[in-house]
Amino acid sequence: MKWFSNFGFQRRNRELQEEIDAHLQMAIADRVARGEAEETARQAAAREFGNILLVQDVTRQMWGGGWFEQLGRDVRYALRQLRKSPAFTITATAMLAVAICANSTVFSWIDGTMLRPIPGARDTGDLVSLQRGERNFSPTPPFSYLDYRDLREQNHTFGGILAYHHDWITLTGGARPERAYIANVSANYFDVLGIKPVLGRFFLAEEETRPAIPNVVLSYSLWKTRYAEDPAIVGKSIEIARHPLTVIGVAPEGVVGAMPGLRDDLWVTLDPLGTDPWRMTHRSGGAVWLNVIGRLRPGVSRGQAAQDLDTVMHNIVAAYPNDHLGANQITLDPMWRSPFGANGYMAATLPVLLAFAAVVLLLTCANVATLTLVRFVSRRRELAIRQSLGANRMQLVWQMVLEGMVLSIVAGAMALGLTSWTSKTFAWFFRASSSPTTLNGSMDHNVVIGIAVFSLLAGMLCGALPAWRSSHAPAIEVLKAESASISGGSRNRKLLSWLVVAQVALSLPLLLCSGLLLRTLRNLARANPGFEQDHILTATVGLNIAGYSHDEVQLIRHKILDRVSALPGVKVASLTDWIPMTLGHKGEDAYPEGYVPHPHESLQVYHAEVAPRYFESLHIPILEGREFTPEDDEKAPRVLIVDQTAARRYWPGQETLGKNLRIWGRRFTVVGVARNSTHMFVNESPEPMVYMSFFQEGYETIVQVETEGNPVDLAPAVENAIHEIDTRLPVFDVRPMRESTQLASSFAVIQSALAGMFALIGLVLAVTGIYGVVAYRTQMRTHEIGVRMALGASRVDVLRLVLSQGVWLTGVGLALGLAFALGLTRLIARLLYGIGANDPVTVASVVTLLGAMSLVACYLPAHRAMRRNPVTAIREL
Amino acid sequence: MNEKGQYKNRIELLQGTLDMLILQTLQWGPQHGYGIVHALRLQTGDVLQVETGSLYPALHRLERQGWVQSEWKQSESKQKARYYRITAKGKKQLARDLGRWERIVEAIGSVMYVKPKESES
Repeated sequence: MKWFSNFGFQRRNRELQEEIDAHLQMAIADRVARGEAEETARQAAAREFGNILLVQDVTRQMWGGGWFEQLGRDVRYALRQLRKSPAFTITATAMLAVAICANSTVFSWIDGTMLRPIPGARDTGDLVSLQRGERNFSPTPPFSYLDYRDLREQNHTFGGILAYHHDWITLTGGARPERAYIANVSANYFDVLGIKPVLGRFFLAEEETRPAIPNVVLSYSLWKTRYAEDPAIVGKSIEIARHPLTVIGVAPEGVVGAMPGLRDDLWVTLDPLGTDPWRMTHRSGGAVWLNVIGRLRPGVSRGQAAQDLDTVMHNIVAAYPNDHLGANQITLDPMWRSPFGANGYMAATLPVLLAFAAVVLLLTCANVATLTLVRFVSRRRELAIRQSLGANRMQLVWQMVLEGMVLSIVAGAMALGLTSWTSKTFAWFFRASSSPTTLNGSMDHNVVIGIAVFSLLAGMLCGALPAWRSSHAPAIEVLKAESASISGGSRNRKLLSWLVVAQVALSLPLLLCSGLLLRTLRNLARANPGFEQDHILTATVGLNIAGYSHDEVQLIRHKILDRVSALPGVKVASLTDWIPMTLGHKGEDAYPEGYVPHPHESLQVYHAEVAPRYFESLHIPILEGREFTPEDDEKAPRVLIVDQTAARRYWPGQETLGKNLRIWGRRFTVVGVARNSTHMFVNESPEPMVYMSFFQEGYETIVQVETEGNPVDLAPAVENAIHEIDTRLPVFDVRPMRESTQLASSFAVIQSALAGMFALIGLVLAVTGIYGVVAYRTQMRTHEIGVRMALGASRVDVLRLVLSQGVWLTGVGLALGLAFALGLTRLIARLLYGIGANDPVTVASVVTLLGAMSLVACYLPAHRAMRRNPVTAIREL
Repeated sequence: MNEKGQYKNRIELLQGTLDMLILQTLQWGPQHGYGIVHALRLQTGDVLQVETGSLYPALHRLERQGWVQSEWKQSESKQKARYYRITAKGKKQLARDLGRWERIVEAIGSVMYVKPKESES
């Protein structure tokens, strides 16, 4: 192709110089051979050759100019053509910009979350997250410290393995206690991630196990906001949960820790105060608390590494069988789909959305190609003349592709501007919650490259296809056919038809998917989670993290319960340490007495610690036995309430009350059975849940009240009541239950919102596409219609004539689209709730909607044609 | 004979025949620019002198039209030179040029060599 061979202008110049030099050398050599002196031969040869510069210049003209000048000429020509039809240019550019933006927005979200799982870390592609036992969508931390240490020291496939535990804590010492997110980390944490401190140092290997080394590393943002970027912070003491800790370093800007999507403000060693030796010296019973991430050695595959770790784990299990009942095989996930943190959810949602966006882009290209084709058909005389003047087909195609390119490059530039804003809208989908979510899109070079690729692709599709078709017609035929041609030749008519069919066929799956997702969202909202969500207010009290002694904590808890219960407007008050449907849960291995687990059965149960009247406040019926009472305190024997799933799994067909379960090595007796309720998601498969008595095992303190009126109104009163006990008590996350549980449907909201938006774009494009083509063709046939009517065709005949082609196109499009859609919905089947992937009602309504809209699009031009005066129609050519 | 006299004996090339001559010369095998000049001079007994100022533009134009292809090679005298080779398209073009040339020659010939008609009176 011409522009391609013009590419090496510099190289060609050099070659020409060499060619002329060779010519002179040979001429001189010949003369010398004939006996001339070298010097005279040189002069004679040069004289004979003539003006070298002139020869070079004339020769260069034969190349048809430098590729750059050539391109400049072509681009100018393309711009002139586009300026001639501003309506087309603006419409096409705007449509392409929106379609490219849809793609780049979703891509920027993927880029900001899945592709940058650990901001600031080096080569995150080599990092894998470790999971033990059954694969789980939202697992709890899977390893004990000792197991982790053995894996770290005995493997042969990892450059390093780190461990962390994400939690929250209160920064005391200031005027008001402040909540901060903290991670207990292994000493090699920052080394394995490949992060260097901006100030001071990170942890030393010997600090990992030695207890009571109260050192802390600050995040850059905490250092900036709370300590005003104090350059001398290293070595200073800060107060965390009323304990002094020494700052040893500050992490670089943007580093937020190893759990994708969640933020850490501080990092401390695994047992900085030496207060929790149990967790450092046991392999089970509350000591399973660490998330583990490893960095693969270069050249090691995930499969090899998993096998290696499995061997190590096998030895650990053999050595400590009682600590490792249940399944223990190791699975490794790349960080982009790590189940710990947000990426598990991202990986299930965003690629599907990107696929939708890609369909939108295809659809837009088909639409723009339709417009381009219509335009080229009306320009075919110009093209034929150019062709007969000697332009070859390749040049014409190039010229049209260039016009498409110019459009899509402008559209790409617009999309770039739009995306820099839309990429940040991802955070809107995540309401304030107790989790420090840091999810957002990012606008980096990846996204810019992505936009460039999308635009080029779009430009090719929009320009090349119609161009190739248009330039195919032999010039003479086109020139001759010009006067007689009615609708631009049968070839173009066929291509135009296929483009319309493609648009209908592509928009149908978009509509169907969005219909299914919207109905899923409605089903989720209507679903009964098994507990009361309205009239419930929750407030988190940062008690244990504020540094009170154990006895103080218990006393304050009782005081809180008493005071809040007495508030006017409060029906029932209780305490809990877990709120359902907030993307989090606590899990622990439980050993029911008298139950023999299947091989590889996970013994993990969900657990929550709840105070008396918890079930009453949430309207969860106790089916057998009793609710907790104030007497179920630390002095009393440990008691449990299990849900139906746990009861059925462990004691099928037996009396559940009075059965025993061992957790953390302690024995609990079942005193009640509660009805099943939703733990994480409405569409979860039920996991066994055990409730423990809050005053026996409670960790965090969340006040939960059932209110008479709107729970929001009671928020200040509840907060005051708590502060009356101690003004320094940190109170966070005071919000209605309904608001918290919406977290569980965040992803359904994202899916349906975007799918809906994309489907709307698709519908508009398909309908305008059909309208455009039918209107154009009808216009081309004005003369013919006039003749028909003059010969006695009725208006209904005309209507039928015009409508029939539109209906035919729509019909074929719908049929193809349906086949495509039914294939595609299987991709989203996992995301649906309460509705089948091929739900007939949705399919029927979507097909009807698209069909009806298409008919309207066909009817408008038909109606216009029908009402034309045949006489004027005939005159019009 | 001095150089000036030699020069006078040469004939300016007819417009449009250079392409044909180049293609014809390349029929015998790949050749570089200097070789083409040399060959034409030898074959025409120094009558036809191709100007380098026309030769190289012509070669590059022929290449762009796809009638010749070029390649860098060592000559017998170890000189690196650009060799041009006629393509299949070039051969067809040569046949067309030749046909046209023959018609021109015939047409001109029929004018120049016509026997004067004997007058009737």
